[in-house]
Amino acid sequence: MKIALVGASGFVGTRMLEKWVLEGSYEVVPVVRSFSSLAVMARFELPWQVCNVLDPVALAKAFEGCEVVVHAAIGDPAQIEQMAESIYRAAEAAHVRRIVVLSSASVHGQAPPPATDETSPLHERHAMAYNTAKVRAERILNRLSASGSVEVAMLRPSVVYGPRSRWITDTARQLLDGSACLVGGGKAICNGIYVDNLIQAVELAVTVPQAAGEVFLVGDAELVTWRDFYQRIADALCVGMDTVRSIEPPVFVRPLKERVGAITSLPVTQKILPIIPGKIKRLTKVVLANWQEAPAGNVWALPSAAASCTTTEELSLLQQCEWRLPMRKAQTVLGYQPQVSFDEAMRRSLAWLKFTGHPVPGII
Amino acid sequence: MGNDLISVVLVGCGAVSRFFYAPSLAALEAGSLLKVEALVDPAPHHIEPLSALFPHAAKAASLEELPLAGRLVVIASPPKFHAKATIYALEKGATVLCEKPMASTVAEAETMVAAAQASGSLLAVGLYKRFFPACEALKGLLEKAPLGRLQRFTIEEGGKFGWQAASDSFFRKSVTPGGILLDIGVHVLDLLLWWLDEPETVRYEDDAMGGQEANCRIDLTYRGGARGEVRLSRDWQTRNEYTFYFERGVVRYKVNEANHLEIKADGMPTLLGGSLHAAAPTADPLRFGGVARSNPQSFIQQICNVAAAMRGREPLRIPGEEGVRSLRLIEQCYSGRQLMPQPWLTPREAEAACRVSKGGVQ
Repeated sequence: MKIALVGASGFVGTRMLEKWVLEGSYEVVPVVRSFSSLAVMARFELPWQVCNVLDPVALAKAFEGCEVVVHAAIGDPAQIEQMAESIYRAAEAAHVRRIVVLSSASVHGQAPPPATDETSPLHERHAMAYNTAKVRAERILNRLSASGSVEVAMLRPSVVYGPRSRWITDTARQLLDGSACLVGGGKAICNGIYVDNLIQAVELAVTVPQAAGEVFLVGDAELVTWRDFYQRIADALCVGMDTVRSIEPPVFVRPLKERVGAITSLPVTQKILPIIPGKIKRLTKVVLANWQEAPAGNVWALPSAAASCTTTEELSLLQQCEWRLPMRKAQTVLGYQPQVSFDEAMRRSLAWLKFTGHPVPGII
Repeated sequence: MGNDLISVVLVGCGAVSRFFYAPSLAALEAGSLLKVEALVDPAPHHIEPLSALFPHAAKAASLEELPLAGRLVVIASPPKFHAKATIYALEKGATVLCEKPMASTVAEAETMVAAAQASGSLLAVGLYKRFFPACEALKGLLEKAPLGRLQRFTIEEGGKFGWQAASDSFFRKSVTPGGILLDIGVHVLDLLLWWLDEPETVRYEDDAMGGQEANCRIDLTYRGGARGEVRLSRDWQTRNEYTFYFERGVVRYKVNEANHLEIKADGMPTLLGGSLHAAAPTADPLRFGGVARSNPQSFIQQICNVAAAMRGREPLRIPGEEGVRSLRLIEQCYSGRQLMPQPWLTPREAEAACRVSKGGVQ
């Protein structure tokens, strides 16, 4: 089977390509946006296609002869929405049978309420623009496939980890420099999925007929807390978990520019913008350009060797998750049973970390 | 040659010309040090952005259309085309500055050197990191050994590939026969050869599986017992650091920080990190004569050296023979190549990786 892989140079795409090429699973056509994205996949001799993924005409040419398109591309919120449409239109023009889309469990938020599953209603009022963009992208694909000729199957993974993943590298770096912290001590649930398990789910979504028109939450087999996740990495690095501070959920105040940007990108604002006088728009831009977000640091601070605790809004929300996202539907409809255990997944991920030259004294 | 402006012909108008040669040549032209006479590239759309910088320059699809005698011809096309263009220009009486890697193979590079010798023309190789004040300072530390003998070194260089390649020729093995080793590895190995001379032993592994390597590792040993480990990557963010462990201290150079070093000498309670400065021509050895050359200024300095050599005022700092040395070491690496163990692969994948990397069919 010939498959076009859009986003073949990302973290998931790189591993998918590596696995499929080495196992000879499919005839893969990697599709990327720029020549520089070829750097890692060039380890193999491949019939790659470099084109603007927002251009349906260029994409349709790249998809020629492919039965399935796997959409694993990432982008900013606007691109996430635009790609959904351009990839669908291109697939239709190229007579593709099915698109398998890597959506995200973040359509339910990073800390979804108990009982959340695939039937839970989605909304477009998420605090994080990425979540909202993923919701909108799903809706665009559902709308297009309702009247179009191309089937769509969507997967909603949450924390995808493995070789080259930021969840491994960033956590290792923070553990080593002493800036790692866990909201609430890391008791919350980490809805993780090892990248190879996600690829297994993609392979099923490619072939199982009943996947058409459906969306599936997917994850690893085990229930894992964030503390468990950090503990494995800390053990491998020989860093004590006592160096990881437990923190209360921080309050994140978005920079003014980001808040204004979010408002101006709303469809309703876009309609109003043309009638706002140019003088006011220019004045707003000047104010934003000169806005000081935070006061300068106090030079009379005590000297300290300890790095300050680092977390992000996304990570903080994920570390407040109290609901294990179910994968019953994926198990029932796709026959999905994760093949790689959490133990083995972490072993492989940390072996990769060692491969990069990172000191990982806890593994031989 | 007198003091007339040196005329430059720039061959290849891709990324390296756009980001390095064009701004350097524009600065030198603005300083009335040379004049860009022609831009050469078979793809007119590659020439256009540069002709905005050099509106007076002729545009040509090939070198054959231009007079070359007495000119400085800068070869910045893909490596596969270096030898032919260089030899042609040398035979026509031009001086050539050929971007690294100077050729695809040692054999080609040796032919280029022979052509320079036969024609009596100058052939320089673009290995501009030798002009970094930090690299010059390291050479002094390694040769004069104020911190004692070198015991070992580690080099990590590279990161997620961000170079704005203008086509996929950079990644096609048929056009560019090597990956990261032939790209930034040329600089690394050239600096090591310049600093430490030839290694005694070389062990090399990479992750190419039918294509170009994105990651590689080289273990080296030297006469006198020093050992080194080099890791290069286009795949993940490395530390981008060269660390040298001497008998009485440690020195670190951060990649591309041309005028910056970090030093921790035994007995110093703190480490010293900061800019390198040219010394003022006074009796006070610590009187600053200004900050030493930056990264772009080092690139410009490389062109200035070639221009000065054309006028007989300076010896050529990196002649063709020097460019061949790093290529020879690269060929030694590739000929003894082993596949890097990739411990996240499944046994079935690992077996296929071995097969594919040895040129087998999947």
